[in-house]
Amino acid sequence: MIIFVKIEELFNKSPRFLSILLSISISFAVTANNSSDSLQNNLDEVIISATKSKRILSSLPLNASIIKKEEIQRTNATKLSDVINEQTGLLTVSDYGGGEGIQMQGLDSEYSLILIDNQPLIGRQAGTFDLDRISVGNIKQIEIVRGASSSLYGNEALAGVINILTEEPKKGFTGSLSNSIETNNSIDNNLTLNYANTKLKSSLFFNNFSSDGYDLSDDDDLRTVNKFKNNTIQLKLGYLLNEQFRIKLNSRYFTQTIENIGSNLLTGETYNEEANINLGIEHNSEKIRSDFEIYSTAYFADEFLNDQNDNIFSQSFYDHILIKPEAKSIFSLKDKDNIVVGLGLKYETLKRTYFDSQPKQNSPFIYFQYDFNIDKKTNLIFGWRYDSFKEYNSQLSPKISGIYKIDDNKSIKISAGYGFKAPDFRQLYFNFTNSTVGYSVIGYNVFESVINQLNDEGLISNLLIPVEDFYEPLKPESSFSLNIGYDFKINNKISLKTNVFNNTAKDLIDTRVVANKTNGQNVFSYYNLDKVMTGGVEIEGLFKYDNYLSFSFGYQLLYALDLEAIKAFNNGDVYARLTTTSPTFQLNRSDYFGLFNRSRHMGMFKISYFNEKYDLDTLLRIRFRSKYGLYDTNGNNYLDKYDEFVKGYFTTNLSLNKTINKLIISTGIENLFNYTDSQNITNLSGRLLYLKLILKLNNKS
Amino acid sequence: MKYLKIILLSFFIFSCEGRDSYDPTINFETISNLHAPVEGGQGLNSSGPFTKFDFETSSETNSETNWDIAFRGTSVIINGGSSLNNDSEPERNGNAGAYIFNGTLAALEIVDENLFTQDSEQGYAIQTGSGNGWYNYTGSPDHLILPIPGRILVFRTRNNGYAKVEVLSYYFDAPDNPDAFDDESRYYTFNYVYQSEPGNTSFN
Repeated sequence: MIIFVKIEELFNKSPRFLSILLSISISFAVTANNSSDSLQNNLDEVIISATKSKRILSSLPLNASIIKKEEIQRTNATKLSDVINEQTGLLTVSDYGGGEGIQMQGLDSEYSLILIDNQPLIGRQAGTFDLDRISVGNIKQIEIVRGASSSLYGNEALAGVINILTEEPKKGFTGSLSNSIETNNSIDNNLTLNYANTKLKSSLFFNNFSSDGYDLSDDDDLRTVNKFKNNTIQLKLGYLLNEQFRIKLNSRYFTQTIENIGSNLLTGETYNEEANINLGIEHNSEKIRSDFEIYSTAYFADEFLNDQNDNIFSQSFYDHILIKPEAKSIFSLKDKDNIVVGLGLKYETLKRTYFDSQPKQNSPFIYFQYDFNIDKKTNLIFGWRYDSFKEYNSQLSPKISGIYKIDDNKSIKISAGYGFKAPDFRQLYFNFTNSTVGYSVIGYNVFESVINQLNDEGLISNLLIPVEDFYEPLKPESSFSLNIGYDFKINNKISLKTNVFNNTAKDLIDTRVVANKTNGQNVFSYYNLDKVMTGGVEIEGLFKYDNYLSFSFGYQLLYALDLEAIKAFNNGDVYARLTTTSPTFQLNRSDYFGLFNRSRHMGMFKISYFNEKYDLDTLLRIRFRSKYGLYDTNGNNYLDKYDEFVKGYFTTNLSLNKTINKLIISTGIENLFNYTDSQNITNLSGRLLYLKLILKLNNKS
Repeated sequence: MKYLKIILLSFFIFSCEGRDSYDPTINFETISNLHAPVEGGQGLNSSGPFTKFDFETSSETNSETNWDIAFRGTSVIINGGSSLNNDSEPERNGNAGAYIFNGTLAALEIVDENLFTQDSEQGYAIQTGSGNGWYNYTGSPDHLILPIPGRILVFRTRNNGYAKVEVLSYYFDAPDNPDAFDDESRYYTFNYVYQSEPGNTSFN
């Protein structure tokens, strides 16, 4: 802890700290290093998270993709959300708390598992995982597996998995230093120092990022995005004890401070802190690779608002801890067949405001996966995982997938799996009463005790749902997901990837009124209700004109529907009025648009051009999102075609990178045409200009 | 506003025209900006008098006895049954009842006597809370109270007449795109049809 504080102090003086380093590092030897290959065919790329073992992406029967370091660097992204928003079918959605959560195949952030170096990240206060907590400065690759993956990862992997792999050092001393400055006084500093020899691998990474945020509307005292700063320190160590054993340590520490503005009278601060440590030992023999890892992570958040006289107006805290030991073995069989077996335990605890007790949870798990080749053309993967829970039903999550190579250029993939998301601590243990309006929200498992307490205080007038209804445990939300893909390489220049997907999710947890209070307000609690279906098509294409010029596009068609809503529309229970006082009319099924915040069409178009003569790399990206509805605006609670929609829009980003020996000078414009919508799109700032310098520190030996 | 009302009225008259018999005991009215303030917010201390309404005279009333329904904030009570929270509710001296019908105002032709309930210690006949009664609350960030289209409040009045009510707006002058921060709330605009003949459950 003391070390962290000291490094933080160093960070606070970072411009000088970095300039000193910069001057030292310039003295390093200089050699040219061109990485001009762009938008490459991803034939030999290795993906880990899809099978928990190394697999070649192109032969994998799953709907998976990889974002390479080079691609991230070429876009000059400083935030992970910027990277995600340029992927086919993915987008980030702002939470009211300010976090950027991923939407994958039309499913919300709470249904996607986020891993860093294969280990899960926590800290979802209201379900959303804020991707911008993760610095992009030392990412080696981002692996994205779309479709339910609970057969390997258990909880949360309902929509898919995102695994962020950080850099592994190459032999010798390597490193890089970068500085970037952008509109809104956004400053991003990165320093990576790596050293590796035959036995030791070590890597140290620092990042600090600060920004003034921005304000899209001047007519209130609030800011669209508040001023913030964050720091990341990451240390990775690996040591080969002998030919068979290797030990490793991965650790990461993150702090963030965000200014908090409640109104012109209320100001405060949000402080987040995250620490991860993963200790592991690996054993390699000819046929068996085993590892045992103990992963611990903690996420703390403290928030307050003070009034003008510095008296506390509101404050809250959230302390979440996860400890997970896990052992895994990969058995190699003939013909590259293999079996993966793993088991472990998840221990979780959460202390927070509005909890009467500190819940703890122990959930052991075991998984199995058999990856086998029927013949040279057909590969099948079958797996399941069992997660044991005390508080709700234990879950068995199977998955099966297969690929058939029609020939060298065509393949068909199919995968079907089960995904689940267990009720979180908030849904089970919340005890919250709104002090200004007077309603209450009670977690499912504490319902009886809290409602009795409220009743004893004379606050309950009428219990609508009997207490006995809460004896049966709340069910985990679950989904069946299906992906069918067809990859087609037309020739050396043109290739296409297509995928059809469907996710049918049931038992989604919602709130309902369970009692009336004597003050006329309601008591809410959680229950399993919703059935939701998301389905659509993803298409990606690449056209390499030559080694210098290439075009690529991505498109997603999406239908995201609430099946209960469809019933209501079919039954003729939904009505609307065109204006407040115009006549009411009945709506039918075709008037139903779907879930909120889902666009039917999303697209991406990229042009990449490399000029050899000037060593200049240019990348233009155009992103499109079709119209979507954020709220019901006509009172019937459903998004229908008579509601107000957020208009569809384009954003255009341009980046230019020039390499001079070991120095890369980058500049560019984000949101070139300055598209904003202050009412509805808070995560899209106006036009941004930036300048970035990257210095590679390679001690060539 | 006036223009809209004329259109509405003409729409209704138009829709009545085709019918064989026109019942002189049936009245169609639009009430605008019936103010239903509430004191002490919506929370624990909500208080203050209810705004009473009488279908017979089609107007707000201060009478202690000649009222059918009453409003305070989003709450609607009836002159029938018993009190939930007896501090500031008017005394009930009638046998009014209420239920909710799902459909257009015109679609409700015959009142179903079996469905009526009354206010009680357990709750109001027109339930409070978003989605339960006549409105949806949109929550953050718009915080709007929007009447649910197709929710018709059906009342038996204190003197055994019947009324069907469609709430159109909770904001002053019933703006088309209300803004919870700019438009004044707790101003009811509603359409209703009143059958004054006691015991006649038909609106045709």
